[in-house]
Amino acid sequence: MTRFVALRFLQAVTIIFLVATITFVLLQVAPGDPFSVRMEQGGTVSTELLEQHRRNFGLDRPLHEQYVRYLQRLARGDLGISFAERRPAWHAIRDRLPNTLLLAVVALLIDFTIGIGLGVTQGAHPNSRLDDTLSVVSLTLYSIPIFWLGIMLLLVFAVGLDWLPAGGARDAVAYPHLSLLGKIGDRLIHLILPAVTLGLVGAAATARYQRAAMLEVIRQDFVRAARARGLSQRAVLIRHALRNALLPVITIFGLSLPILLSGAVLVETVFSWPGMGKLAVDSIFKRDYFVVSGTAMLSAALVVTGNFVSDTLYFVVDPRTRRQ
Amino acid sequence: MRLPRTLCWLLSCAWLLACGTERTCASDWCGTIVVVSGAEPTTLLPPLTEFDVEIAISDLLFVRLADIGADLNTVDPATFTPALARSWRFDDSLTIRFALEPNVRWHDGTPITAEDVAFTYGIYRDTLVNARARQRLDRITSVEAVDANTVVFRFSSPYPEQFYDAVYHMRILPRHQLAAIPRAGLSSDPVSRDPVGSGPFRVRTWVVGESIDLSADSTFFRGRPGPRRIVWRFVADPAAAATQLVAGEADFLNAMRRDDLSSIEGSDDLRVELVPSLAYAYIAFNFRDPEDRTRPHPIFASRTVRQALSMAVDRQAIVRAVRGEYGHVPEGPVTRPLWIWDASVRALPYDTTRARRLLMQAGWRDRDDDGVLDRNGRVFQFELIVPTTSNDRQRSAVIVQEQLRRLGIVVAITPLDVPTWIERAQNGTADAYYGARTQDPSPASIEEAWSSAAIGGANWGRYANSEVDRLIRRAIETFDVETARASWHEAIARINDDPPAIWMYSPITAAGLHRRLENVSIRADEWGSTIWSWNVSPARYIDRDLLN
Repeated sequence: MTRFVALRFLQAVTIIFLVATITFVLLQVAPGDPFSVRMEQGGTVSTELLEQHRRNFGLDRPLHEQYVRYLQRLARGDLGISFAERRPAWHAIRDRLPNTLLLAVVALLIDFTIGIGLGVTQGAHPNSRLDDTLSVVSLTLYSIPIFWLGIMLLLVFAVGLDWLPAGGARDAVAYPHLSLLGKIGDRLIHLILPAVTLGLVGAAATARYQRAAMLEVIRQDFVRAARARGLSQRAVLIRHALRNALLPVITIFGLSLPILLSGAVLVETVFSWPGMGKLAVDSIFKRDYFVVSGTAMLSAALVVTGNFVSDTLYFVVDPRTRRQ
Repeated sequence: MRLPRTLCWLLSCAWLLACGTERTCASDWCGTIVVVSGAEPTTLLPPLTEFDVEIAISDLLFVRLADIGADLNTVDPATFTPALARSWRFDDSLTIRFALEPNVRWHDGTPITAEDVAFTYGIYRDTLVNARARQRLDRITSVEAVDANTVVFRFSSPYPEQFYDAVYHMRILPRHQLAAIPRAGLSSDPVSRDPVGSGPFRVRTWVVGESIDLSADSTFFRGRPGPRRIVWRFVADPAAAATQLVAGEADFLNAMRRDDLSSIEGSDDLRVELVPSLAYAYIAFNFRDPEDRTRPHPIFASRTVRQALSMAVDRQAIVRAVRGEYGHVPEGPVTRPLWIWDASVRALPYDTTRARRLLMQAGWRDRDDDGVLDRNGRVFQFELIVPTTSNDRQRSAVIVQEQLRRLGIVVAITPLDVPTWIERAQNGTADAYYGARTQDPSPASIEEAWSSAAIGGANWGRYANSEVDRLIRRAIETFDVETARASWHEAIARINDDPPAIWMYSPITAAGLHRRLENVSIRADEWGSTIWSWNVSPARYIDRDLLN
């Protein structure tokens, strides 16, 4: 187990280093720079002022020199400066990271709770009317563009019915006046629409995987044996079939994180959710080099962690891998 | 099914808890305005502000010596309103003496003195700070504090906009807070996001990515602000921002898209306020050959061809199609709020017959009958680069493409992300670029874009016309207002006659706002500068008005 963890750690460091280098090179070779975007509206920013900005931030130096300085800073744990926000890049990321994690975790919960539930139900009643109906529902959900689903939910529940807030992570006006419990409630209410949007689309995919896995398992001898022992349908499904059918789904847990992070960009845009995905995309358009590489490295770290967790779970759940 | 029941219970609790807010305002002065904005500031310190939202918020935190009048006249000091300066006088043609309001304090209680004004000038002029307005202060040679309440500005030469330059570009800064901070590190210092101001509002909280909460200063020396609280919410997506307004979660959205305006038509709570804009969009010609930038452009070097292109584009139709009633065709590189604006300035008309004739004169005709003009074996084809961030520019570029196709001209439209678009337009590697400029109230901003002195600066196409340069300079240096106005008209007419660009449209900004807001006025140059004087009608208070 120690060797497994050590190997994974080394892999993670290598991946993160590669991601940092690739994003640095890609951004540097892309046309434009962080200060040129200030000229988009053609205001009174002069070329001389922009040159001064570039000098002040060392962007006039040769590429290799910038790269060495960048790596030196990284080694010290310094991600660099955000040109757009005029403060350390880490501070820009740090302020958004909790929102992203909160959204991703709750969306994952919704994704796997609904997805596994649907998949098990379908797997338990293969080719029935219920299975067909749920297949249509899950495929429809899976086919819907996530931003469209978000906008529809927003129009129905926020604008039409006025049940839920139209965006943001909290009520900017009332929040300072709320008690601690009130603040928690406010955050939960604001989380519902973005998390459900993100979770529902993921759940549709999870349901497909889970159904296939259940169908695979439910035909096996040990399930038939469990039934022959007179166990109830519920006990057979949950205790015997589901435990084995979860293995492939655990694998996709690791893969869900990057999908959630990329999907979160659209959800964050529609629901004005102040998360890291939107920050990363905006930073690319603003050529905010160090925020882009910082978010890329952090995303890589999250994905590596997700994969590590799923591998570990696999290791725990499947006794065969432990023996190997 | 235990889980859904638990979930329902949890959500119900959350709902109840979130709704249980106590009203905190019991006096006769309440009112909360929620402004929804597409961008978030990166700084609140005035010399570092560059974007619309930064300027709008810092306008509420800091004050100038004097404010420009509603007519945006930049040459007549009598039209300015006293702010931090109670009065002023010209000692001679090179010296302006300001008397400051006595007993005015910063939000932390420190008195504001003439030393703060002199310090502010030093910050704005420092190359390490690199303020956007630095070059606008070139002709001010010194700012000196004579005593605690008197400050003197000295100029290198007399010119009509001396007073405007002295008061418009700088908002007075707190010396006691900023003096100890190294200038090079000012932009990344935490103080740039939490400065001590002297304006009608102060920052209560700033939740990054979400909102800035401002509370009114009841002791503001120019009078108690109208609203007691302003909350600035940041919603990057324009459709989501409009949804917040429609859903009743915001009170003001500065610039609504035409597509979203229909959602507030007929609303009992919302209305639209139209504001003329200082922005204009144009298709600029590159005067260098993109393939060999030492040579003149093979098509656009010809004035006749540029005139023909200007006359071949039906800009009225384009404005109607793209902006509807929220835009108009500019009469040159000049917008309506500028004091020199006049609809009668000579401009090239829409006339395709004359355009064809001019193209024939320049040697462009369809010799091989393929529907495309050609000359000396070269077809009339050019690349137009358009930034992907502007829907209006992308949509109108397609109409221009179609209109020019009818004359036998091929336009290849290349949409580009902003940094790439800027790099190509600036370096002259495209034939033409679809640009937009926002002017400040001074007509001198025309010189900054279209004179030969601006080559290497904002004049990316490298347009040069010595007669235009001379006429602009003469207009800038003329003291008599009417003579200056006539000189500006002559200069603009001359630019139109030798067009560096096709002047496409100037938007009229449609601001969406709640009907309970009263005394609403919006200045074209800085829309945030007047919000402090708006009122929330007590008869129409809603829940958030009572949460201060």
